[in-house]
Amino acid sequence: MSGLTVAPARRWPSATTREQSRARYPDATGFIERDGVRVFWERYGDGSPTILLMPTWSVFHSRHWKLQIPYLARHYRVVTFDGRGNGHSDRPRTSAGYADTEFVADAIAVLDATATDRAVVAGLSMGGGYGLRLAVDHPSRVLGLVLFGASIPVGDRAPDAPAGPDASFAVPQPDDEGWRKYNAEYWRRDWPGFAAFFVAQIFSEPHSTKLIEDGIGWFLDTDPETIVTAEYAPFLRPPAEWERSSPTEGDALPFLRRVACPVLVVHGTEDQIVGIRDARRAAETLGAPLVEVAGGGHAPIGRDPVLANLLIRDFVLGLETMS
Amino acid sequence: MTADAPSRALDRDSGRARSPDRSGVATAADGARLAFDVYGAGDPTIVFLPSTPIVHSRQWKAQVPYLSRHYRVVTFDGRGNGRSDRPIEPAAYADDVIVNDVETVMVASDTGRAVLVGLCADGVWRAIRLAAEKPERVAGIVAFAVGVPRLAPPHPYRVEHSFEEELPVYQGWATVNRHSWQRDYPGFARFFFGAITSEPHSTKAIEDAVGWAVDGSVDAMLAEAEADFPFQREEIESICRSVTCPLLIVHGTEDHCQPVARAHRLAELTGAPLVVVEGADHMIPGRHPVLANLLIRDFVRSLPETRP
Repeated sequence: MSGLTVAPARRWPSATTREQSRARYPDATGFIERDGVRVFWERYGDGSPTILLMPTWSVFHSRHWKLQIPYLARHYRVVTFDGRGNGHSDRPRTSAGYADTEFVADAIAVLDATATDRAVVAGLSMGGGYGLRLAVDHPSRVLGLVLFGASIPVGDRAPDAPAGPDASFAVPQPDDEGWRKYNAEYWRRDWPGFAAFFVAQIFSEPHSTKLIEDGIGWFLDTDPETIVTAEYAPFLRPPAEWERSSPTEGDALPFLRRVACPVLVVHGTEDQIVGIRDARRAAETLGAPLVEVAGGGHAPIGRDPVLANLLIRDFVLGLETMS
Repeated sequence: MTADAPSRALDRDSGRARSPDRSGVATAADGARLAFDVYGAGDPTIVFLPSTPIVHSRQWKAQVPYLSRHYRVVTFDGRGNGRSDRPIEPAAYADDVIVNDVETVMVASDTGRAVLVGLCADGVWRAIRLAAEKPERVAGIVAFAVGVPRLAPPHPYRVEHSFEEELPVYQGWATVNRHSWQRDYPGFARFFFGAITSEPHSTKAIEDAVGWAVDGSVDAMLAEAEADFPFQREEIESICRSVTCPLLIVHGTEDHCQPVARAHRLAELTGAPLVVVEGADHMIPGRHPVLANLLIRDFVRSLPETRP
């Protein structure tokens, strides 16, 4: 990481969004710093155990847990942090700065900074991947794992596929229709346009206008250059020495097989980002229960917060019963 | 393991947060049957008046579950919608008749005295009339989106178009028209509730209200529109002044149905406190349920007769 250049965090309130009033404010906040990258964390409540709410793709920051924190903090101790690339955290200017292992190391540093020995870990979408890697690489720190709309590569891959995004991302597209908006040139040209498109895919259920407005605001708290840079970061690449059951199996599967703690998988049947079949595959590989949210989209934590919160509570209760 | 997502069923009335403890039917003097529900067992009783006949008692869905944990709550479907009868004679919607319906439901639900909560004209004006004429029945009134007629001029766009005459185009407020209702009542309902539920992030509130409207009857709406309203401004003001029970007035600055000037005038006439909600539209109890519920709770707690 030497020679890494880091852009400072944009100050809130930013030009694009104002910090909203909160139902619950943190009891403590701080920064950890690793290799010159500062990462902002928050701690709420003093119950037990600690719930670590992971960052996701850096288009969102930790406010994506806004509907979990006030409830969970009444019963547990809650720790969350802005993933590098958004919120109060710095934006590394190299792709290596956004490797899954960096997010995992940030999580460990935040656990240390908040004097948290072990935590129940929850993640949304890519945050499920970061949580998965945390559970595999640091099993002594993770009591259990809850995956919401997990975006992890479980499907077969071409044996000679290059790592990182394919040409449809890197090369300008003939038009900006639909998923062709998932393109570096388009992001740089019309970041709000991509934000509006992608957030509508995340919150695809009726009556999601507030979630969409919030989500677009979180996108606009970062910038396209940061997210293009992050797009080339390694994500769930199994170490070379790990055996694979087949040369084409999805990269997430060797990780899923190595999870030792209890896991709960929660996924919407109408998820427009990651199909429900991927969640079934992940749950089957884990041997974990799967809650399929009928009619639900990619982010049950936003659109079905009561359900998501009670699932976390019941998962924690189950852990306590086992121990 | 499969979890059904809450509130997303096609059956709109399934999955209530709170079901009634008792349901019954009251019969008015003219024979019209009025369906009512009772929730909870606290004290005092809060009776929610219907904004009839455009919607029915589910308009209070965001109040019932909370308030019935603390108080006894009575709601009813006003004549012309919901499970209540739907007479189509204008006389069945006369002002006296609608006021009497409130008392009829109170008697049938074993409610001697209650706090009345109403929205708009059908809720607020009838609550005031009952309090003025039967003060022993009314412990207090919470008046949302004050719809006391003639206290102040209506919004100009509410009187711009004829209700009776055929119009060249039915759009916007011109859909508040007999012929428009007969041709496309759901279209009117979508416009109307969109216009008066104007705050951002109201898609669910609008969907619900349009659903309650189409549960009702165009003929009942037309009969109600033709019903006699015998009061002039002077008499209305005199009735408002004669109310002796405590009153709380709540009105949004962006109410596109009832002008906030009516709330100010009612506050002047009654000496009641007025909560003006900055940026709020007409549908405060639905759009700001926590605010509305806490205002009702605090009002009930403040009543001399309910203080411990």
